[in-house]
Amino acid sequence: MLRFSLFIAICVCSVLANKRTLVLVDNWSIRETHSVFFRTLRDRGFELTFKTADDSSLALVKYGEFLYDNLILFSPSVEEFGGSLDVAAITNFIDGGGNVLVAASSDIGDPIRELATECGVEFDYEKTAVIDHLNYDIKDQGKHTMIIADSKNLLDAPLIVGSKNINPLLYRGVGMVADPENPLVLSVLHASSTAYSFSPDKAIDDYPHAVGKNTLLVAALQARNNARVVFLGSLDFFSDEFFTFSVQSGMSNKQFPKSGNEDLALSLTQWVFKEKGVLRVGAVKHNKQGEKEPPQAYTVFDMVDYSIEIEELKDGKWKPFSGQDVQLEFVRIDPFVRTTLKNSNGKFHITFKLPDVYGVYKFQVDYNRVGYTHLYSTTQVSVRPLQHTQYERFIYSAYPYYTSAFSMMVGVCVFSLVFLHFKEEPKEKKE
Amino acid sequence: MADAGVKNDIRSNMWRTGAWQSLLTFFILSLAWLVGFSSRLFAVIRFESIIHEFDPWFNYRSTHYMVEHGFYNFLNWFDDTAWYPLGRIVGGTVYPGLMVTSGTIHWILHMLHIPVHIRDICVFLAPIFSGMTAIAVYFFTKEIWSAGAGLFAACFIAIVPGYISRSVAGSYDNEGIAIFALMFTYYLWIKSVKTGSMFWAIFTALSYFYMVSAWGGYVFIINLIPLHVFVLLLMGRYSKRVYIAYSTFFITGLILSMQIPFVGFQPIKTSEHMASAGVFALINAYAVIKYVQSFLTKAEFKFFFISAVGGAASIIFCTVVGLTWAGVIHPWSGRFYSLWDTGYAKIHIPIIASVSEHQPTTWVSFFFDLHILVCAFPAGVWYCVKHVNDERVFVILYAIFASYFAGVMVRLMLTLTPVVCVLAAIAFSKTFEIYLKDDAPKSSGKETSEEPAESKNDRLYDKVGKTKKTKEEKPKDQDAMGMNIKTIVIIALLMILMLFAVHCTWVTSSAYSSPSIVLASYNHDGSRTILDDFREAYYWLRQNTDDKARIMSWWDYGYQIAGMGNRTTLVDNNTWNNSHIALVGKAMSSNETAAYDIMRQLDVNYVLVIFGGVIGYSGDDINKFLWMVRIAEGEHPRDIKEADYFTPQGEFRVDSAGSQTLLNCLMYKLSYYRFGELQLDFRSPAGYDRTRGVEIGNKNFKLTHLEEAYTSEHWLVRIYKVKDLENREKVAKPTIPAQKWKKRTSKKTSRKRTGSIKNQPKIVKGKRKSGKK
Repeated sequence: MLRFSLFIAICVCSVLANKRTLVLVDNWSIRETHSVFFRTLRDRGFELTFKTADDSSLALVKYGEFLYDNLILFSPSVEEFGGSLDVAAITNFIDGGGNVLVAASSDIGDPIRELATECGVEFDYEKTAVIDHLNYDIKDQGKHTMIIADSKNLLDAPLIVGSKNINPLLYRGVGMVADPENPLVLSVLHASSTAYSFSPDKAIDDYPHAVGKNTLLVAALQARNNARVVFLGSLDFFSDEFFTFSVQSGMSNKQFPKSGNEDLALSLTQWVFKEKGVLRVGAVKHNKQGEKEPPQAYTVFDMVDYSIEIEELKDGKWKPFSGQDVQLEFVRIDPFVRTTLKNSNGKFHITFKLPDVYGVYKFQVDYNRVGYTHLYSTTQVSVRPLQHTQYERFIYSAYPYYTSAFSMMVGVCVFSLVFLHFKEEPKEKKE
Repeated sequence: MADAGVKNDIRSNMWRTGAWQSLLTFFILSLAWLVGFSSRLFAVIRFESIIHEFDPWFNYRSTHYMVEHGFYNFLNWFDDTAWYPLGRIVGGTVYPGLMVTSGTIHWILHMLHIPVHIRDICVFLAPIFSGMTAIAVYFFTKEIWSAGAGLFAACFIAIVPGYISRSVAGSYDNEGIAIFALMFTYYLWIKSVKTGSMFWAIFTALSYFYMVSAWGGYVFIINLIPLHVFVLLLMGRYSKRVYIAYSTFFITGLILSMQIPFVGFQPIKTSEHMASAGVFALINAYAVIKYVQSFLTKAEFKFFFISAVGGAASIIFCTVVGLTWAGVIHPWSGRFYSLWDTGYAKIHIPIIASVSEHQPTTWVSFFFDLHILVCAFPAGVWYCVKHVNDERVFVILYAIFASYFAGVMVRLMLTLTPVVCVLAAIAFSKTFEIYLKDDAPKSSGKETSEEPAESKNDRLYDKVGKTKKTKEEKPKDQDAMGMNIKTIVIIALLMILMLFAVHCTWVTSSAYSSPSIVLASYNHDGSRTILDDFREAYYWLRQNTDDKARIMSWWDYGYQIAGMGNRTTLVDNNTWNNSHIALVGKAMSSNETAAYDIMRQLDVNYVLVIFGGVIGYSGDDINKFLWMVRIAEGEHPRDIKEADYFTPQGEFRVDSAGSQTLLNCLMYKLSYYRFGELQLDFRSPAGYDRTRGVEIGNKNFKLTHLEEAYTSEHWLVRIYKVKDLENREKVAKPTIPAQKWKKRTSKKTSRKRTGSIKNQPKIVKGKRKSGKK
């Protein structure tokens, strides 16, 4: 009984392990205006802790341990975080594996912008907004800042955005740009080609910082330690209003009864808080064909069995991964062998022949797909040349030499016999 | 007076029996051994029983491996910690003679229950073998000239610095045993030429086999002996003795030498060995012609001779050219070319030229290493030329070639040293023979007893027979000399020899007895400070890094890191793969970002550099840096250009006038990281490099991809850790200009830790009237 309850406790802990979430808000009213969003999170088991961003008791770390697994920053206009929290603390949190969801608005403050810069994303200035004079919603108040983002503009990654066949998305807020060279940042949703980012109250006297498809509405970062960060320029995106609004473009009469915001918000949060797209490596085994244990060193031309177990987190449980495109590389500076692993119920395996070049190699599985955590497993092994006993004892082409050697031996024997025999006779004769 | 007379009688009796002579010989040889052994112990006494320098560390490590795992495992040893990630087959790339020798000694001692650690055997192996070299040289000289000269030669070789430089205690290197093998092979060769017996020729081949197993310098033997035979043929000194000796030696030696895995098929494939095969063919052809000559008329023979020689020469020439063209015989290796053209290596193979011991020898070092012997050496050659016979031809050839090679490479001074000792000994012995001769008639007995022996020798082995002439000349010379002149000359010679001994001891103690991994510096008051930075750093690596950590350093330190630090290295002193070394050189001479890419590609965990700027150690990496650049340029001419590292005036300087490429390359940054903050004394500015005597040019820089992990006490060894890739990638070049990015001062205090939010609705709370309670 005790054991059982302990088991349950462990289960609960493990479920809760990734669910402790701190929500920072500008003011308490956000809790009410975004209640649908928070409720869905709660329903999925997240343990939400609400605090205002200037709370003097804010802390992410206590006694060297993170207090939370996830952080939701719904406080765009913060100028300085309270307590021990600042941008460095948040980046440390990310480097420590924590996930962050950031929603900004046109009232964006410096800390949020700094945080974005640290993660490779740039927010436009305070008081600017993404403006689209063609794709604005009918409920817009004349400045064309409440824009409709077509779901076709979503990144082609079902793990992050879910289905692409959702209703258009409503968006009101600041725009972002990201360096396309940056390998870690994903542009999840970009604006349509007619959008630009500028202050809606000012006359346009300068080239806007973000124009057309360069303007990012949702950007995501998966850091090298697989921590995930999502930036949205619009806090209203998650609001109850936007979730439930019908969408009708100001230019056309096509109307959708409900915006796609809720669907996208669900997918995004599932991804960013690591409910989806998480892989882990189980046992990695390698051995000579027909043996059980890995040898001290392989020999060139050996047949080698390699297997790796990969599991995926599905609904809070680790299930065998079903991907078919996992590749193994056998690398010594350059890959000498690159082959696709065969998947049998989460156990990926292959048997291959080692190259004829000795050296120190690595079995390397480097599985990097958009949406999944970066899976990287290397095992270093030595491949040694043949031992002096492992070469062929008799070489076919050398038989003439063997014959000559043995015939020489026989010849010497015969000769010495003859020599000794005939040498003595004349001597005797002489004497 | 009467007593003296009796004594003289006894003495002459003794001399006649030869007992005194052999006792004296034995005594002198043991003394030579002892002196040679003890004068090599300076390093052990001053420092400790430790392996020196670079290569010995590898030899020690592999000996240790062999003793632990057995010979066959050693032969099959694949060292995966060297040359990461290529690995090294140690058994097939090493001359195993040294390891086998010390392993055998270790095994015998343990059989006798004498528990000696293998390290001590390794440390003392070279001094012990120096005594054996002395004995080999004694026998060699005895065969060439006389026993007296042999004793001189043994004494010389025991203490001559040119040999000590490679055989001090702790210098556990191939040369230590190879010189013994070399001289012993030559002795046996002379013996077999003299006797013409197959027995001695086989022994020559066996000794040659030992030499092949010990040192790459065996090529010297396999070219010198054929040359000797060839010259004897040219001089018309062909005899059956030479034929038997050479053909036996060549065939046996060839087969034996191919048993060493490292040598393998080289003896029948490379040009270096072709001379011996050619001479073998020639001497056989010569023998056939001689044989044919015995039953042909002169006219017939002439025709036969010309056609045979012409035919044979053209066939041999065509075969060699054809085989070389087909690639069966490899053309001469780069090292071989550099023996003929001293500038060759510098242009084509910088890696060979970068080694200081491959530089041409300066004149000074001849005197430094050989002292008076180098002056007496030509006299010895002259004596040999004057009284030439079969074996003296050999010694003359040896002298000529060895002195040429010693002039080309400092390292080959080692092969010159024995022959210099031999010939100088001949010169001294001859001179003493002339000047020490007693005028008194009593001594004539001794003289006669010696003279016949010599003339008998000459009669046996020399056909030219010049001895009679010299015999006639001698008495004339001696008659003309007075007692005073003799005394003066003898005293002068003795003084010179004494000075020689003093010089040898001084050179040994001051120049050749430094282990180079432990440095000593002397203070003003004469007290000694030991700088043990190398071992300190290597032990740090051993204790504080992961077992499989990969250390990148310049190749000089590869063996030491492997031996003392027990960590994986990328390149080491076995410079077999030029492109791998060039890659490391490229990393060292690129800027930090480019270097980081190479280091990640090679899985480098730590980078180790040697920096002498704090204590003024001149052998550090910055001084070697140009070689890294040159070697890197050889393989990557697009990325690395030597000219970039010089100032427009063509100077290599590390101060602020130096080239920007140099001031920003990885090696510079790793050497001088945070050095700008260090002020060594009040007379010099901060960041003053004592080795190069300048203030460094690039002081305040930060490292982005590396971090300092360890710096030894005197900054001699600096170790850096290579960081992982950054977890996030920051915005490097903001597209949105940072005009608004003002630094706000935090309003947070230690008491009040509330942040601030814009546009926050202010709640005005009711105020309490009373102030503080």
